Amino acid sequence: MPESWLPAFVVAAKSVGLNYAFLLNAFEREAWLKGVVVSVELSFLSIASSLLVGLVIATALTSERPWLARPARAFVEIIRNTPTLVQIFCAFFVLNMLVSQALGGPQNNPLTAYAWVVIVLSLHFGAYHAEALRAGIEAVPKGMRESAASLGFSRRGRLIHVELPLAFRFAWPSLINNMVDLVKATSLGSAIAVGEVTYASLMIWVNGDNVLELMIFIFLVYAALTLFVVWLGGWVEKRLRMPGYGH
Amino acid sequence: MSESDKSQERQTLVQLRNVHLSFGANHVLKGIDLKVRKGDAVSIIGPSGSGKSTLLRCINGLLTPERGEVVVGDTPVHALKSEAERIALRKRIGFVFQQYNLFPHLTVLQNVVLAPIRILGMERASAEREARELLARVCLADKDEAYPGQLSGGQQQRVAIARALAMHPELVLFDEVTSALDPETVGEVLSVIRQLVEDGMTSLLVTHEMRFAEEVSHEVVFTEGGEIVEHGTPRDIFHAPRNPRTNAFINALRN
Repeated sequence: MPESWLPAFVVAAKSVGLNYAFLLNAFEREAWLKGVVVSVELSFLSIASSLLVGLVIATALTSERPWLARPARAFVEIIRNTPTLVQIFCAFFVLNMLVSQALGGPQNNPLTAYAWVVIVLSLHFGAYHAEALRAGIEAVPKGMRESAASLGFSRRGRLIHVELPLAFRFAWPSLINNMVDLVKATSLGSAIAVGEVTYASLMIWVNGDNVLELMIFIFLVYAALTLFVVWLGGWVEKRLRMPGYGH
Repeated sequence: MSESDKSQERQTLVQLRNVHLSFGANHVLKGIDLKVRKGDAVSIIGPSGSGKSTLLRCINGLLTPERGEVVVGDTPVHALKSEAERIALRKRIGFVFQQYNLFPHLTVLQNVVLAPIRILGMERASAEREARELLARVCLADKDEAYPGQLSGGQQQRVAIARALAMHPELVLFDEVTSALDPETVGEVLSVIRQLVEDGMTSLLVTHEMRFAEEVSHEVVFTEGGEIVEHGTPRDIFHAPRNPRTNAFINALRN
């Protein structure tokens, strides 16, 4: 049921020349709201898994073992030297087909377009996170490593208890930047028909004369999402602050 | 104290024989011989760049000499190959740094209990109890919830000493631990070390505090240019040095 204020809003918008009539059409309205929900889901799922990917790749990048560091470096370079959209196409049209073939037909392939977007965004932004975290790990003072080693920590223990907690703090502003970028990049899902807010809007404006109206909504949705990420990032930054350190 | 107890006490804990180490073309250690007996405090003095800090790092395996032997207790440090062996060694040796190197993201208490819990596998409750005792010993009982960045240099260094002691080391290496401190906080750190030495903790100190070295040490070693020029009792080194280089160094400090 449309809320009582909805018709009033549509009338008010009409008076300034904006056509939001689609909001009174239950089918279109629900489809659009579903798109917003999908965008939020895509954003937060991909942010979480991209951070995990970033952590793993950064650890590999800074490893003393060349068989870990070199493939990690190659991965980062491949990822950041090709367009995100092309990566999504490549994943959905090429990798997805290969997976289907390997599993004996598309009916056995559990990976949807939605899943591929999450995978590509996680790997893509994971590579950027990894570079930020690598910078953080390398910014850890040498003396910190020496004192951890002197206490008996292994390379792994030093990483977990000293280097990563510090690297994470040093890298956090860059990570927030990447996450804001990631939220906006979820709109690329529209290219392979994932029903996030850009795609849902597109499906509505092809049937009506309301491109501008939907554009305004899209901007507002992404702005709200990115501002929320920035706010959350600031909150975490405050929690992680090391009293008396560096300022 | 019986005769056998005395000989026990005089056991050699650290022995270096003909230790050489270079960084590139820079020959830092040129055949160091050194012996530290259990319960002794040995001070290493000498001009900057004479390889004093490098020497300490060879003892706990942070650096590996190119030639020569380093033996701690029964452990041939120069021959350790695996990380596990080095960890076993480092658990027995405390190291206190010039720059304190406390973990800035952890509170004072967390700094002290981290290694006992993670490395020695101690229960958190007993590790914290012990940590509080140690903090009381270095007169910082009320700073357990502070972060290192909120403390003065002298306070941080005392936390660093408590952190080293929390591992129950057989030996503590002090690497110019007062060099980064304000003059007024040097005293509080030195008195903690003095107490430790009086309690019989085997200590090897690289220091520029000559008066302290003279007062606290059982033996003083003078190094210059990567070599040990002279060693002896504090009395001998500071008041009757045999080597002209030692004499020049001591006199330059006096004036």
